[in-house]
Amino acid sequence: MKSIRKIDAIPKLNGSWKFLDDYSYKGMIHGQLLYSTCHHGIIKQIHFPDGYDLSEFTMVSAADIPGENIVPEPVCDQPYMADKEVFHFGQVIMGIAHPNRKLLREFISNTSIEYEELPAITDIKECLDNEKNAFGRELTIDHRTGKKPDPNWVHHHKIYYTPHQEQAYLEPQGMIAVWQPKDKIMFVRATCQCPFFVKEGVEAIMGDTIKEAVIETSEGIGGAFGGKEDFPNLLAGITSLLSYKSGKPVKIVLDRSDDIQITTKRHPARIEIETWTDPKTKKIMKIDIDYRLDAGAYQTLSPVVLARGVLHAISGYSIPDAFIRGRLFHSNTPSNGAFRGFGAPQAFAAMEAHIDNIASDLKMNPYKFRKINLFKIGDEFPTTQPILEDHLSNCLERVIDKSNYSKKLKEFKEWNKTHKDKKGIGISIGYHGGGYTGNGEKVLNSEVKVVIEKDAIVKIYVSNTDMGQGAHTTLAQMFFEAIDHPREKCRIQLPNTSKTPNSGPTVASRTIYIIGNLLRKFAFKIKDELGFENLEGYVASNQNEFPREFRMNFVQDPSVVFDDENYVGVAYKDYSWAACVTEIYYHADTYQIELTKSWSVMDIGKVVNQKIATGQAEGGVLQGLAYGLCEFFYKPGYGRMHGFTDYALPTTMDLPEIDVEFIHNDSPIAKGLGEIPMDFPAPSVRNAFHNATGIFINEYPLVPERIYSYMQRATDRHRQTQTV
Amino acid sequence: MINLKFNVNGKDVEITVDDSLRLLDILRDELGLTGTKEGCGIGECGACTVIMNGEAVNSCMILAEQVQNAKVETVENLEKNEVLSKLQDAFLDNGAIQCGFCTTGMLMSSKALLDKNPTPSEEEIKTALEGNLCRCTGYVPILNSVKDAVKKYLHK
Ligand code: FES
Ligand code: FES
Repeated sequence: MKSIRKIDAIPKLNGSWKFLDDYSYKGMIHGQLLYSTCHHGIIKQIHFPDGYDLSEFTMVSAADIPGENIVPEPVCDQPYMADKEVFHFGQVIMGIAHPNRKLLREFISNTSIEYEELPAITDIKECLDNEKNAFGRELTIDHRTGKKPDPNWVHHHKIYYTPHQEQAYLEPQGMIAVWQPKDKIMFVRATCQCPFFVKEGVEAIMGDTIKEAVIETSEGIGGAFGGKEDFPNLLAGITSLLSYKSGKPVKIVLDRSDDIQITTKRHPARIEIETWTDPKTKKIMKIDIDYRLDAGAYQTLSPVVLARGVLHAISGYSIPDAFIRGRLFHSNTPSNGAFRGFGAPQAFAAMEAHIDNIASDLKMNPYKFRKINLFKIGDEFPTTQPILEDHLSNCLERVIDKSNYSKKLKEFKEWNKTHKDKKGIGISIGYHGGGYTGNGEKVLNSEVKVVIEKDAIVKIYVSNTDMGQGAHTTLAQMFFEAIDHPREKCRIQLPNTSKTPNSGPTVASRTIYIIGNLLRKFAFKIKDELGFENLEGYVASNQNEFPREFRMNFVQDPSVVFDDENYVGVAYKDYSWAACVTEIYYHADTYQIELTKSWSVMDIGKVVNQKIATGQAEGGVLQGLAYGLCEFFYKPGYGRMHGFTDYALPTTMDLPEIDVEFIHNDSPIAKGLGEIPMDFPAPSVRNAFHNATGIFINEYPLVPERIYSYMQRATDRHRQTQTV
Repeated sequence: MINLKFNVNGKDVEITVDDSLRLLDILRDELGLTGTKEGCGIGECGACTVIMNGEAVNSCMILAEQVQNAKVETVENLEKNEVLSKLQDAFLDNGAIQCGFCTTGMLMSSKALLDKNPTPSEEEIKTALEGNLCRCTGYVPILNSVKDAVKKYLHK
């Protein structure tokens, strides 16, 4: 649990670490995307502005694509560039390049496109409330008993809505493509999470015109949070095509407003929950969940998000009779994609709110109600996967204890009696299955490579990227700590598809959990194979054996057997668990919630690097709290959100005190950490607001406008009852 | 075109540039000082913060002509002879660097604050960094770093 210093810390501090836009190539020109400003329509004509020498520009459109005009994704339905019809605002129509970036920007902003407009769905509720918009494969988890609910059970039926969320990585999306005609290689420098996905993307669009695409990441990847999982494939494809056509290196860095408007976001959700609770035992006996995601115009990777969503939809409760149905819905907005949490934050936002709704109705303390219904060892997930540990309950107990929850509940109740402003405290829980869902890791078959040099330098080769989460430091640490090798003798190769083996994408909280634990095992295996106590000594006395290369593949635990058709079995081998308590101060005059303190207790298994893990957790918790409190798009795709002034990211002034603690860190295995901190905090804000005011809001986030309208409704209802 | 004379990191610079350039472009593209980053280009994120005439400014909002005769300091000036400044050291100790894209701007805003006010209160630190967004850290270790640097300055 040491806090080894991050390997990239010093160059990041002195400004020498290179991010995408800091690279430049001889003769490089700049590219930009021309995209649709119409939600749905037929492209009639494109008018370029007068006064420019068109021969100076390189332009590519769907007609120029030598390969396929379909981005490789779990569902291949999205074109790189629209051909005749556009299906959403922000859909790319052309890539255009010019040596002068400023001139190019002017040219594109003065270009106009004529459309024949067609009907479009751009509102979240318009999309999700209408069954007709459902598309793609429906997922169901059927754990029903077939029995009718007992008439004495208390029935609750509610609908919850969650908004889009912007990843807001500080470094915008960017790509550089360098066509090398002699070798027919397309070299791409990328700020991305998944170099091998980008490779597939470039090879798909370029078809036979190239022999191979080689992708190397920039040294620095300025944040990603899922946002650089699939959009880079599309961007790399178009950048490559521009480089191929112009014969020059091309760099595209998105302007922030383009980035916010056209790239993937967290899926808005509509989650309808029906429960039946036994009023005597306070046990939830039956549940029915309808989980819907607004996928945007195309399905792309949404089915995978949907899968994780339904698998986390029940939150951490044992309910003997459960039915979960998950569907994607179509709208005319940019495709939604990966964002830290991947369907799980929506699930917890709904279910954790629902739990408080029931508890309040039964006049129960929300903590006690949770305790009665929480998973216990021997219980099952709705997929029949057995619950093997009670760490979730340990997290809950610990956070209740350290936040002084019970005492504060009473104190605030008293305080609120005599104050117009209100204080509130709320709970939420969450968990996250590590790695790809079900059989995913088996299919990925990740490979890692290690080279030991003559001077006992160990070089690690993986395709997983370090986008700020400290993955490269922690991965190296897991290897050298296992065999007690000096840290300065350990290096890690910058991900490059021609040098690093495919150890899979940097997603799904799998980097440390799958690849890190694999490297640790690998270190022991090499030690056994060579039979050394001390690697340096061994290399010194067996010089002729080195340099030497070793490779190893990930083997999934045999307990992971999952039926992808029926959603039965073990979906994830290991889960990270968490519980949270958040305290708020509600300003009655401005309808504003001020977060005062938030405690999170998580079980992520072994904590490899305390400082890195804490930093990850704190950052994720703030993203999660902001998801509940302030982050959303007023009108998706309308271009309303142009930048960070419109899109309310938390600043230093909004920061509550954040307390995070890891328990069960004596475990031998490091579990997933990346996503869990984002999964659970949002509903704690909502539940704290309910505790403060008695008002239920079943839509996120709890911005003043929304609070105001709910307050008005509550007052109107109150008035009506008085007049009656 | 405009002919500019100004001082960057203690060195006098004379350069002729397109007058529509921003200080950010001059630093990055003309002088190769790419430690200063562009996160938004419209004064909303603080990634491009440098110190100009003693004040922390968003270099994406400063036009070429405003740079005339100015004294500009960028992140490249903090480390001297491969020794990190106390502020950088504090960032390192507190694990305040994740992706690093906001880091150089954070450092410059913090430095401008400490240059003027070596013993800021927590509120003053938060206010000084309000214009610098960070999506990775949740700000906690960054604020702790500045507080730590204050202690280090006091004990020098
Ligand atoms: S780039 Fe200047 S403030 Fe964002
Ligand atoms: S460290 Fe990534 S934005 Fe601050």
